[in-house]
Amino acid sequence: MESAALVIVLVIALALFFDFTNGFHDTANAMATPIATGALKPKVAVLLAACLNLVGAFLSTEVAKTISGGMIREDQISADIFPSIIFAGLIGAITWNMLTWLLGLPSSSSHALFGGLIGATLVGVGAMAIDAGVVLSKVILPALIAPLTAGIIAFTVTKIAYGVTRRYDMKADGRDGFRWGQIFTSSLVALAHGTNDAQKTMGVITLALITVGWQSSSNPDPQLWVIFACAITIALGTYMGGWRIIRTLGKGLTDVKPAQGFSAETSTAATILASSALGFALSTTQVASGSVIGSGLGRRGSTVRWNTVGRIMIGWVLTLPAAGAVGAAAALIVVWLGGWGVAVDAVIAVAVILGLFLRSRRDEVTSANAMSEVADSGAAVKVPRKPGPTWRQRRVERQAAGRGGEGDA
Amino acid sequence: MIIDWEAFLHVFVAALVGAVVVVGFYALGLRLLVRGGRPPVVAPAEFTDAITVLTDKQRRRATKAAAKAAAKNPLSEEQKRLSLIAAFACFGVCAAAVLGALLLILFNH
Repeated sequence: MESAALVIVLVIALALFFDFTNGFHDTANAMATPIATGALKPKVAVLLAACLNLVGAFLSTEVAKTISGGMIREDQISADIFPSIIFAGLIGAITWNMLTWLLGLPSSSSHALFGGLIGATLVGVGAMAIDAGVVLSKVILPALIAPLTAGIIAFTVTKIAYGVTRRYDMKADGRDGFRWGQIFTSSLVALAHGTNDAQKTMGVITLALITVGWQSSSNPDPQLWVIFACAITIALGTYMGGWRIIRTLGKGLTDVKPAQGFSAETSTAATILASSALGFALSTTQVASGSVIGSGLGRRGSTVRWNTVGRIMIGWVLTLPAAGAVGAAAALIVVWLGGWGVAVDAVIAVAVILGLFLRSRRDEVTSANAMSEVADSGAAVKVPRKPGPTWRQRRVERQAAGRGGEGDA
Repeated sequence: MIIDWEAFLHVFVAALVGAVVVVGFYALGLRLLVRGGRPPVVAPAEFTDAITVLTDKQRRRATKAAAKAAAKNPLSEEQKRLSLIAAFACFGVCAAAVLGALLLILFNH
């Protein structure tokens, strides 16, 4: 029993660490666009993001319930091994997360977590412990559909935003005002981030508590102290991560106009909030990227750089199986060596985290390894400096040409 | 294995409606502000490379141009006031939509 308690403590510590890196990693998603368009000062933006992540974590716990109450069948697993398996899964997630962060590969913290958990469970317990239906309908399909949804919505609303404020007489069109609006929409994105990403850690901790019987499986709601711990950790991570962005800002960001940023953020926030309310655990990074690409396409005359899109997509597809493989390997050690396996895993985890941390300290933080994927995805759309005429201008031109032709004849 | 396709549709429709309401009304509000003779001139909060930054001089010029355009506004005072009221009503609709959505999430468990 004492060793079980120790493992639980390890799981909670590692889960909170994951939560911290998640916030650290994702500040840029919420705050890259408002800083880029000059809507907010970086310091204000980061503080705002941290506070709203905290609030968002309390707003809805549907996503946490998906993880703690649906994905894994608690009745199929035994209490003495499963906490170690969760531990292994977390190691898979964190290792992959930090590796991609260091290599500058696009990735998703959420998928790393799911991949690690699923991989470890498959190896450590077996396929019957995973509810494939829930995994498919609440994790994999939302992962594929949500960025597309966000992209379509962003495309539509960008068209609306530009269409409604368009003027043909070259007078002030008021689009500057979207900069005010962005303060609110980027806050909403930070809030939405809290409702989805902080939940994942709560779900994992609750799952661990349920498997050792410290919490009843009929009630998969996270306990209050779990909510508090996760909310505070993600807010702290967000706040700390922000300083990294501030240092690198101004480089590597693509040209985002206030109207476009406003539209992209609104669709990101709307998609994540709607998904969180129904308990879909999705990757906030991918949704935000989908929105940025969609809103770029919504601007007149823009074209897609398919190879950039392809690179981003490959990173997304790779995350789940790669984190799964690392999680499975960690679980294998536990299965082979039992209690000692947990110790070996813990040592490996500490070594990996420490090694990557030192490695990141040695490297100068540059736009190449520190900018968010969301800002990257802005490069996937090419927007011309001088867009072509609108359909109305074309019509006027056609009519003028038609009249000119008649005159010649 | 039952996949709830309807739930995806719900998410899509809810997000689309929410985003269209917020962006549409916000843009309409800005349009009405301009019509009412008060085009917003908002300088970026801090310099970054990614954006075209207005200098103080440029900003003063933009504000002056906006004021000049407003002076030439063919609308009567009454119409201008109506536009401004409508503009702030639009912003109000945005805020109400966001608050409503958050309350819906909070109390709809």
